[in-house]
Amino acid sequence: MEGRIIVVTSGKGGVGKTTATASIGAALAMEGNRVAVIDMDIGLRNLDVVLGLENRIVFNIVDVVNKKCKIRQAAIKDRRIENLFLIPASQSDNKDILSTSGIKRTAKTLKKEFDYIIMDSPAGIEKGFENSVVAADEAIVICTPDVSSIRDADRVIGLLYARSITPKIVVNRIIPKMVAKGDMLNHQDIMEILSVELIGLVPMDEQVVISTNIGLPLVMQNDSKAGQAFKRIARRLNGEIDLPIEIPISKTGIWNKISQKFGLTK
Amino acid sequence: MNFENNLSVKLKGVGDGFWVTLNPLAKEAKLKKDISQLFERLKHLAINAKVVIDIGDGVGYDELISNIGLFLKEKFDVGFVSQSPRKKSKPLKRIRQRDLSKEWAHHRSDVLMIRGRVRSGQKITTKKHIVIIGDINPGAEIYVGGDIIVMGKLMGQVYAGYPNNDKAIIIAIDFKPTQVQIGSFIARELNKNSSEIRAKFACVKKSIVVIQDYLKANPFKDIPWPEVI
Ligand SMILES: Nc1ncnc2c1ncn2[C@@H]1O[C@H](COP(=O)(O)OP(=O)(O)OP(=O)(O)O)[C@@H](O)[C@H]1O
Ligand SMILES: [Mg+2]
Repeated sequence: MEGRIIVVTSGKGGVGKTTATASIGAALAMEGNRVAVIDMDIGLRNLDVVLGLENRIVFNIVDVVNKKCKIRQAAIKDRRIENLFLIPASQSDNKDILSTSGIKRTAKTLKKEFDYIIMDSPAGIEKGFENSVVAADEAIVICTPDVSSIRDADRVIGLLYARSITPKIVVNRIIPKMVAKGDMLNHQDIMEILSVELIGLVPMDEQVVISTNIGLPLVMQNDSKAGQAFKRIARRLNGEIDLPIEIPISKTGIWNKISQKFGLTK
Repeated sequence: MNFENNLSVKLKGVGDGFWVTLNPLAKEAKLKKDISQLFERLKHLAINAKVVIDIGDGVGYDELISNIGLFLKEKFDVGFVSQSPRKKSKPLKRIRQRDLSKEWAHHRSDVLMIRGRVRSGQKITTKKHIVIIGDINPGAEIYVGGDIIVMGKLMGQVYAGYPNNDKAIIIAIDFKPTQVQIGSFIARELNKNSSEIRAKFACVKKSIVVIQDYLKANPFKDIPWPEVI
């Protein structure tokens, strides 16, 4: 069976695309899938740092697309998580260096070798975004509970629709206390505007920064709420569509998670 | 027209003259008799006065009017006699006939009807009116020559009567736009953070974009027949 190419994108920068790519990729691999996470943010490489693999880079995605090396040579195998591979971005080139036909050819090969190929898209809707979505089968749009991020996510949803991709939404950096007080938009308000399928709600979690700094995948930290949320997103992607979406709550230490079942929120 | 006391004539002072309303169906002799009765009371005030003769909607009474004019000049020494300017509007009877004959069957209305969500970054432009069955997200733009009707939540930027038709209107079931412009006027206060869902109606009144509760204002309640726009 062919693998699925999933692009992680957002329009707005800094909302958690790279964090989501690393976490969902790692979680899918922990579920037993062969996973490649690919950094498409050419010139602003990040994914390697988040995964703690930055000191093992030899080749990168630009080398693969431009036939300077084989996928096998560029893919860095994670030593902690079986079946997780990273193809990093190049740090020196710019986004114009990748040709559409080169990306499509590479994608074909990737689909033969992996179950999931997760592409970390750069911010914006220009060339880098185009490069990331040109070969994608599916898309995850990350947004945060703020007006400008929602507007950008909405724009990106429209652009993906135009390419016959119906994306799924992850709302990241939710601060339950603020939502409870009405100081932060709740996910219902957000989904009312975006109105595509919601696939996960991820709370603000200081473990994200810690895990990035020590290069340990978030989903390997069992006490990370964001990590747990990303794990459930991975399970939903992996076929457990009935897994309820948990709404982050502020009461720490108490396991009275209020969960809500969404089915197909259209 | 209401003629009191069995008189076929009404007299009103206007500015520096008099306004004489006649019942053109009355006999000329009766008219002259009634006119005399009223003008005799004026005494010297009638001398050299300007007189306007008004026969309402009647047509084809030019001879009657000139006879009455001559009569007034001779008998009461009025200065100048003229006929009331004809009203420009079509006679009510004809308007009614037209509407009863189903005007909408003969006119095509220029409306673009759309279903679905309009998302951020999308822009809909048309010279027509637009009806959108669906929501308009923040960041979406609607630019139309005519009216805008949103059967859903309006959150984006809308411009009705583009570029300079100040008579255009905007109606939305849930009215929370980011920006509203009608013709050459931009709405000032939009209060888009209010959580209540209310159908609202925007139009230009005295060079200001006025936004009202649609059901309360019921802006078209006084149009007696359906008309094509
Ligand atoms: N759930 C979270 N809780 C706390 N911090 C988070 C969370 N998600 C992301 N962050 C932090 O937000 C910052 C931006 O995240 P990330 O780099 O994943 O975003 P991005 O969308 O990839 O950004 P860019 O557009 O620059 O590529 C990082 O410092 C990350 O640690
Ligand atoms: Mg990133």
